Amino acid sequence: MRKHALMRKAACVALTAAMTLAMAGTAAFADEPIVVGGIFNITGDQSSLDEPTQQGFELAIEEINAAGGVNGKMLEAVYDDGKTDTAVCASNAKKQINNDGAVVLAGFSDSDFAYAAGAVAQEAGVPFVFTGATTPDIPSTVGDCAFLCAFGDDVCAHAGADYAVEELGAKTAYVLTDNSMSYTTNLSDYFIERFEELGGEIVLQDYFASGDYDYSAQIARYQALGEEAGILFMATGPDDASTVIEQYRSAGVTGPMISGDGWDTDLWGVAGDLANQDVYVCTHFSSDDDSEAVQGFLSAYEEKYGKAPENAFAALGYDTAYLIASAIEACGDDVTPAAIRDALENTQDFPGITGTISYSAETHVPDKTVVVCQAEDGLLKFRKNI
Amino acid sequence: MINSAYFMSMLISGLKLGSIYAIVAIGYSIVYGILRLINFAHGDIMTIGVYIILMLMNQAGVPIPAALLISVAFSVGVGLLIERLAYRPLRDASEETTLISSLAVSALLQNMLQMVFSAQRQPFMLPEALRTTHKIGIVNLSTINIITFISTAIFLVILHLVLTKTRIGTAMRACSENLRAARLMGVNVNRVVMTAFAIGSGLAVIAGFLLAGEYKTVYPSLGFVPGLKAFCAAVIGGIGSLGGAVTGAFIIGIAEMLFAGLVPTTMTAYRDAFVFLLMVIVLLFRPNGLFGGSETARS
Amino acid sequence: MNKTYRITDCSLFRLIVFVIVPLIILIRCAMQPTSYITGIVITMGIYIVLAASLNLINGFSGMFSMGHAAFMAIGAYIAAFFTLAPQVKENMTPGLPAWLINLQIPLAPALLIGGAAAALVALIVGFPVVRTKGHYLSVVTLALIVVVRAVIDNQGDITHGSRGLTGLPAKSTILSVYIAVVVTLFVLYRITHSDYGRGLIAMRDDPVAAQTLGINLVKKKISCFAISAFFAGIGGGLWGHYLTTISASNFYFSKSFDIVEMSIIGGMFSLSGSIPGAMFYTIVPEFLAPLESGFNLGGIRLPTMFGLSNIIMAVLLIVLIIFRGQGIMGTSEIILDTWFSKDTYLAPFRKEEYQRLAGVFRKKSS
Repeated sequence: MRKHALMRKAACVALTAAMTLAMAGTAAFADEPIVVGGIFNITGDQSSLDEPTQQGFELAIEEINAAGGVNGKMLEAVYDDGKTDTAVCASNAKKQINNDGAVVLAGFSDSDFAYAAGAVAQEAGVPFVFTGATTPDIPSTVGDCAFLCAFGDDVCAHAGADYAVEELGAKTAYVLTDNSMSYTTNLSDYFIERFEELGGEIVLQDYFASGDYDYSAQIARYQALGEEAGILFMATGPDDASTVIEQYRSAGVTGPMISGDGWDTDLWGVAGDLANQDVYVCTHFSSDDDSEAVQGFLSAYEEKYGKAPENAFAALGYDTAYLIASAIEACGDDVTPAAIRDALENTQDFPGITGTISYSAETHVPDKTVVVCQAEDGLLKFRKNI
Repeated sequence: MINSAYFMSMLISGLKLGSIYAIVAIGYSIVYGILRLINFAHGDIMTIGVYIILMLMNQAGVPIPAALLISVAFSVGVGLLIERLAYRPLRDASEETTLISSLAVSALLQNMLQMVFSAQRQPFMLPEALRTTHKIGIVNLSTINIITFISTAIFLVILHLVLTKTRIGTAMRACSENLRAARLMGVNVNRVVMTAFAIGSGLAVIAGFLLAGEYKTVYPSLGFVPGLKAFCAAVIGGIGSLGGAVTGAFIIGIAEMLFAGLVPTTMTAYRDAFVFLLMVIVLLFRPNGLFGGSETARS
Repeated sequence: MNKTYRITDCSLFRLIVFVIVPLIILIRCAMQPTSYITGIVITMGIYIVLAASLNLINGFSGMFSMGHAAFMAIGAYIAAFFTLAPQVKENMTPGLPAWLINLQIPLAPALLIGGAAAALVALIVGFPVVRTKGHYLSVVTLALIVVVRAVIDNQGDITHGSRGLTGLPAKSTILSVYIAVVVTLFVLYRITHSDYGRGLIAMRDDPVAAQTLGINLVKKKISCFAISAFFAGIGGGLWGHYLTTISASNFYFSKSFDIVEMSIIGGMFSLSGSIPGAMFYTIVPEFLAPLESGFNLGGIRLPTMFGLSNIIMAVLLIVLIIFRGQGIMGTSEIILDTWFSKDTYLAPFRKEEYQRLAGVFRKKSS
């Protein structure tokens, strides 16, 4: 299979990618490169999510170019900082489409920016692959040029509820929601919906706003319930994850915790060993997956940036670049936004490291497998595919 | 659902938070008292200090007290540099321009921190010895909490002595009362302002250390919101009054935690809004804060 | 001609620089509605409305508000409630009253309603706000932003919570935005030149004296606060209908600070200042952006340095306020004087205007 071959070829050269980059760079001038736009919020509140995304994306682009590009053409990625400002993001999209001649755009971990920049791309008929935004209604709101690389929040949260009920035997749930993020608000709504459908009972839903970094009030209120809930669903972003675990566990909360892909990050930084106690994450892939592609990505990322991927967004950025490359490859010589859009829509079984991506005319949200992992000894250990 | 243990634990959390706000608020209050400058960069100096400590501890293996001292020295330097470059040239400009300058400095520092240390939160772990929890009655306190309470008290006393017993302290109070008159009376205003900035920056680092130690994490915008809340505290207490700043800080800390703990869950996310509303309400009834004297027009 | 004229005194020159050239740019932009430059020019127009309305309060009344983002948010949300399609509202904002869900009106009245809502909130919060002085007032207005954001994030039935509102009709075009710019500036210009406006300035310069002259300070401050909020609400509405999506996090501290900085850069004592202020703020970062995305310098590719443009902007801002504290325009109203004066538009038909212009150049060359 073509995409498989592309992937494997790239994985082999992953380690030498940095060295060959210089050559690839000069080669790019020989043949007209294909311009791919990347808009990430490298500064501002979103930076902790978008910085790794951009690094994963950049890594993949370098690997693709080092492996000879796509159909003999190099990819030239142009990057702009969205500055966590919807107006700047929209303006960047216009610039990349009109001035840089980008034929496809990628970026964003949050729906706000996806809607604003996506509307621009939609109007120009340029496909936009959202790397980490997971609100399932983005494609239906923005239009047929919008594609999600990640699964929708609904799939993720439903998987969490299923796992909690089926594997952990939970009958009652406690839900903690970061009310200031769309991702976490969605996630907990979908979790509650599914959990109640499965006959569970929500004993308490509590809220906070990201940046509070003090959960003692929430913890005290939870403990005032008098008994542990069967499952604690913690809808927070990656920034708060380790702190939440640390504070809840230190306070003596022992119930199993589960969260979405936002928790696919360094859970041990603040919490230390506490993170190894019954913490589950519903995410895109497991780092102990010993497949060549996953391990290749992990080692290449570490090689290039001197650190392990900060969170799952790095892998999503990486996959997005390969997804785009595979769509461009499928276009053959007709590399136009419309052709790439059609090729993206016809994507079947693209083997990303974060799961298999298929789109159809009906849905631009991939129906990916959710991997449930358990935190164990500093790693997310694979538990179940849902 | 509310029992006394629950209430007490909220109260203690509030005290912890309050004592950290107090140290920041003192620094804020001193600078504001003299320059009438809301120094938005104050919280960012706090963050810089924490990053320096983190670097020294993790990469150079410097013991904590030494790391803290070096970081305080460094951040005092940064504070003085900022004062010299961004605030002193604006000494005679309107209050608003200086305020904008401090906003710009804040943006500058946050972006620089992000470029150097990345936007990711980094764990900030104090040694085990400082993290052990002690059970006192029904409340749990860690060593660092106890240190926080004691150091807040010590700094307050020292500052009070400096302000009342030393020449520079007297000069500072004079400047706070009336900058122009103090200058006419031969007070070296630059020296006073620099002292205020040095004290403020030093205290900010200590507060940052305690804050990051309590929550075990540091990131580039760590100091901004606590900085603003500490300013609220200083405002509630009455700007220029040290005792007022500390009282205001404890009021905010305790009120914040009690609010978060006692209101229905759907209201908990209003926590920050509540703190700011509290300040507005206090200002409504006491336009100069709880302990502020009447603010006379000053140049 | 005894009087010596400077070139900026020539109506003809002013007509060309302040009216004809901008008009040509706007028309060119209107002809390419999707281009990148057009996007920047639209953003700039919205910022002009916001900065000018902020100038009224910060520059003319002597109060210093930093809460503009709160009023933007109110204006944006309320306007959106009126322009969103009914089926969208049923999904996102089921908590709205039924008549509002079924109502969909054009942009202009929706903006006015949004502005009015912002003004109403300003009237209500105005009483506690104007009781405070100086910096206290600034911080109270900051508090307003926090409160507004908390309300929007937590009233999910009505506001769709932190997920924000999407699918707003993209009606903020060059035409609608710049009509709003001209109308806003005209109204504010007339206000500052009316008895009311002179009263404001008197209050700013010497509140005690103003009071003895019979000016009711509280009434004046609150009304000024409300007028400013009205236009901030309109700016917010335009903002939402340009980006087609809004959420509370878009209207937080950083947005407010941006507008305050724009207002200071342009000169807050001048309504005209909002124009160069907004231009500086929207155009300069665009020139700085290539610096940070790793450009080619003589064949060597520089590394990406994201954040650099923010740092340079901050430094530029500090340098600017140190060396020109009163902003680019100072107290000059040259742009608005030109726009709203009959003389400007009659100048091409007057012979002496040509002579005057020629005179200026003759003097220069000699």
